[in-house]
Amino acid sequence: MAQNVTGPAAPGPAMRMKFYVDTKRCIECGGCEVACKNINEVPRGISRIRVLTVNEGEPGETNVPVPCMHCSNAPCVAVCPVDALFTRADGIVHVNKETCIGCGYCLYACPFGAPQFPTANVFGSRGVMDKCTYCAGGPVEAFSSKEHALYGSNRVAVGKLPACASFCATKALVAGDSAFVDEVARERDAVRGPSVKWGWEQAYKQA
Amino acid sequence: MTNSMNDIRNSKCVMVIGENVCTSHPIAMQHILTAKEHKAPFIVVDPRFTQTAALADHHVRLRSGTDIALIYGMIHVILKNGWEDKKMLADRTYGWKDLMAEMAKYDLPDAKSSKSDLKADLKTISDITGTSPEEIIKLATLMAKNRPSTVIWAMGGTQHNHGTAVVRSYCILQLVLGNMGKSGGGTNVFRGHDNVQGATDLGVTSDSLPGYYGVAESAFKHWAGVWDVNLDWIKSRFTTVKKMQKVKKTVDGKEVEVEEQVSIPLMEKPGLTVARWYEAVGMDVKDLGQPTNVRAAIYWGHSSNSESQMDRVKGALEKVELLVDIDPFITTTTILPDRKDGVYMLPAVSAYEQSGSVTNSNRGIQWRTRVVKPVFEGRADIEILIDLANKLGFGKDFAKNKNGPWKQIPEDITREWNMGMLSVGMRGQTPERMKRQHEWAHVFEVHNTKAASGPLKGEQWGLPWPCWNTKHPGTAILYRIDVPAMQGGGGFRARWGDKAPDGETLLTPKGSAPAGGSIKEGYTAYKDYATDVTGKAIDEALSKGLNPYGNGRARLSAFGIPDPVPTHREPIHSPRPDLIAKWPTYDDVKDHWRVPTLFKSLQKPDWVKKYPIILSTGRQVEFEGGGASERNSWWLVELQPEMYVEMHPKLAADVGVKHGEWVYVLSPEDLDDKPSRIKVKAKVTRRVSPDMVYLPFHWAGVWDGKSLGEKFPDGMVPYGLGESANVVTNYGYDRVTQMQETKTGLCRIEKA
Repeated sequence: MAQNVTGPAAPGPAMRMKFYVDTKRCIECGGCEVACKNINEVPRGISRIRVLTVNEGEPGETNVPVPCMHCSNAPCVAVCPVDALFTRADGIVHVNKETCIGCGYCLYACPFGAPQFPTANVFGSRGVMDKCTYCAGGPVEAFSSKEHALYGSNRVAVGKLPACASFCATKALVAGDSAFVDEVARERDAVRGPSVKWGWEQAYKQA
Repeated sequence: MTNSMNDIRNSKCVMVIGENVCTSHPIAMQHILTAKEHKAPFIVVDPRFTQTAALADHHVRLRSGTDIALIYGMIHVILKNGWEDKKMLADRTYGWKDLMAEMAKYDLPDAKSSKSDLKADLKTISDITGTSPEEIIKLATLMAKNRPSTVIWAMGGTQHNHGTAVVRSYCILQLVLGNMGKSGGGTNVFRGHDNVQGATDLGVTSDSLPGYYGVAESAFKHWAGVWDVNLDWIKSRFTTVKKMQKVKKTVDGKEVEVEEQVSIPLMEKPGLTVARWYEAVGMDVKDLGQPTNVRAAIYWGHSSNSESQMDRVKGALEKVELLVDIDPFITTTTILPDRKDGVYMLPAVSAYEQSGSVTNSNRGIQWRTRVVKPVFEGRADIEILIDLANKLGFGKDFAKNKNGPWKQIPEDITREWNMGMLSVGMRGQTPERMKRQHEWAHVFEVHNTKAASGPLKGEQWGLPWPCWNTKHPGTAILYRIDVPAMQGGGGFRARWGDKAPDGETLLTPKGSAPAGGSIKEGYTAYKDYATDVTGKAIDEALSKGLNPYGNGRARLSAFGIPDPVPTHREPIHSPRPDLIAKWPTYDDVKDHWRVPTLFKSLQKPDWVKKYPIILSTGRQVEFEGGGASERNSWWLVELQPEMYVEMHPKLAADVGVKHGEWVYVLSPEDLDDKPSRIKVKAKVTRRVSPDMVYLPFHWAGVWDGKSLGEKFPDGMVPYGLGESANVVTNYGYDRVTQMQETKTGLCRIEKA
């Protein structure tokens, strides 16, 4: 069975792999999208990461690169009826494409629109879900051709960070374990003055 | 760039004018954003609310092509508040009086004596630029109160009929603010493509041999020495032309200057430019500045869809006897012309399949290593070039120099320009040093691009020129006098002798010279430094602590070029006919880079009645240049699938179209008898103001509404095809360089 089903063992919460999206730095160049498609050979029409621009052409225009955020307590994992979605020990959320039935529950649960569904046949039924793997392959043998065909590249297993963040021109998208990502955010805060809020408090207004 | 990309981090205020960094130079944005995060105000001056403007602290709109008036407004605010750098202006510049005389034309009262209200002073300037006095005051205040401040620009400043003057006005602003020769300051132009700076340095322009030596006989003599070829043989390859020239003659014992016809070798006459080469194909030879028409064209890594007047370019591509395109991709050059023979496509290879040096915008040079062997039938550019020289019969003379025949390619070619390009200081960037920097890249610091430790300690990344010899660290910041010449110090180039035509000195006074030199004031260029290929003259100058190119004054007033002091000139297709009388363009020029160029005779006040909308072009981040390679990438085309015209919701409503619907963009008749037009989709956005539209210029493969897809070889049709913006960009060229005026034209939009 797969070598990296569960990923490397995580000694503590600091070792969870994270993305940090710095909307003050994203310049809408789309480098992350192209790097992802190139390295993972993502099928046409599927976007594992997408740069969204709000208020385009108007004051307040903001760009947000949106990959799968590999949530703690990921809602997609919670709703998956066949347990195809799971969280690795290092915090990366994966989908097992051989188990997935393409029901689409995860799409409704996800706050970021990360799950992607290719059209499976002429009547428009959904194929199995495809999403950002954090460039960590999938739950099959690492570096196998099966892994590449189903999930794309496995950079994490060779000690590399996801392609999107590695290629980011302005380091608006930062990847790494939470201790590292936290440090980057803290440094930027120290220069700019505190502005970055974390977690659900940032994503949703509290009642 | 006078400073380095990284040095922008050290700026206390960043002003970007006429450049959309986010789409044209995305990697450079990291430095600007870092400066911004360190509380440097970030200003974008642009007619469009660009992606860069969205990230700026302040966005100021100006009418396209009115930069000079805006800069003069800012200078007036600076002078009125006494914020100018008096020492820099007194000691290191020439032509202050001329500048003041020019500024008075904009109804600016004398800044020092008048007590008038600043906002009232700027009334005329505000009328020209469309920028409010308050905004101009804010810009000037931010730039003056947060020094060192930097000015960054690109094609938005240069693609105008007075583009050279626009660029000079930016430089004058930086001199007035005293931002030159300082970390965090400088005049920083971002070049358009990979290695554009290197191509310019190596003489890609038709008026100069490598190293900016020009095309006079003395330049050929220098290079004939480097190349070890006979000067007479070079001369024999050129014919002679007749030219009117001012000649000094003694008439009745008095020396007078008379204009008479002289014969000069074509060798010494600047050639055609890429912007207008096509004119020389079909034009009556009588009107041409050379004895014959152009009969063959070779495009080498260049896209014909980035040239304006594209319908006329197409005509020339059809008319030349021989058309060759050397490129890794099929470009529009061979697809566009309706012809069946005489067209050749030679597959060149990409950067990854060949090695050699490349120069970036900040004059830094790196060695690029080959990653893979050439794929398919592709061949390295230099191999194709050597073959061409062989076929033309002078291969042996081509592939050699004073040191003997080239053995190691491309290293021996680098050594060749090390030997010859002494004028700008390209002697120290040997292949060995470049490769060594590559290995030690990790020791260079981000904020000053200097090696902090190890064997390269003190070296600047990329050995930016001038790098006078193999011990010199390179010059990351030009015109610094606080460090010795051997550490990258240097005054302004003493390029124009010691005295200006009006008798004023062009040399600096005592106390204004690179630190540690034997001469503490201005000095002219060191004797023979640019022509002594042994390098002795350069080393001798450096041993005395002198910068070989001399130490002179920066010219606010550049005698010898049209508009010595920058003057606002309305675009040839001006949306403000009422301003044409006071701010006209130049007189027509009969022999302008060998072709006649029209200025005033095309500047018709009536254009705007039929074509009321300003037309500007620019880039998309996904594509580059003509887009031949990028439109062949599915991933990029997926992000940017179609050609479009950006229009404001108000204009869209006036035309009666919605987002995504088809429109025609029609442009003035210029030299043809009917308007040119393209059919594109409307992208409705508030990025543009209601009085302008914006077209990306990377598209090709659709002509007059019809796809040219079937003209491509099988399986080679790019994923992205679209109408080319340069079909409708208007006629108009820079008076000095002949750069096309594509940032300010006129057009009309109609529902398709």
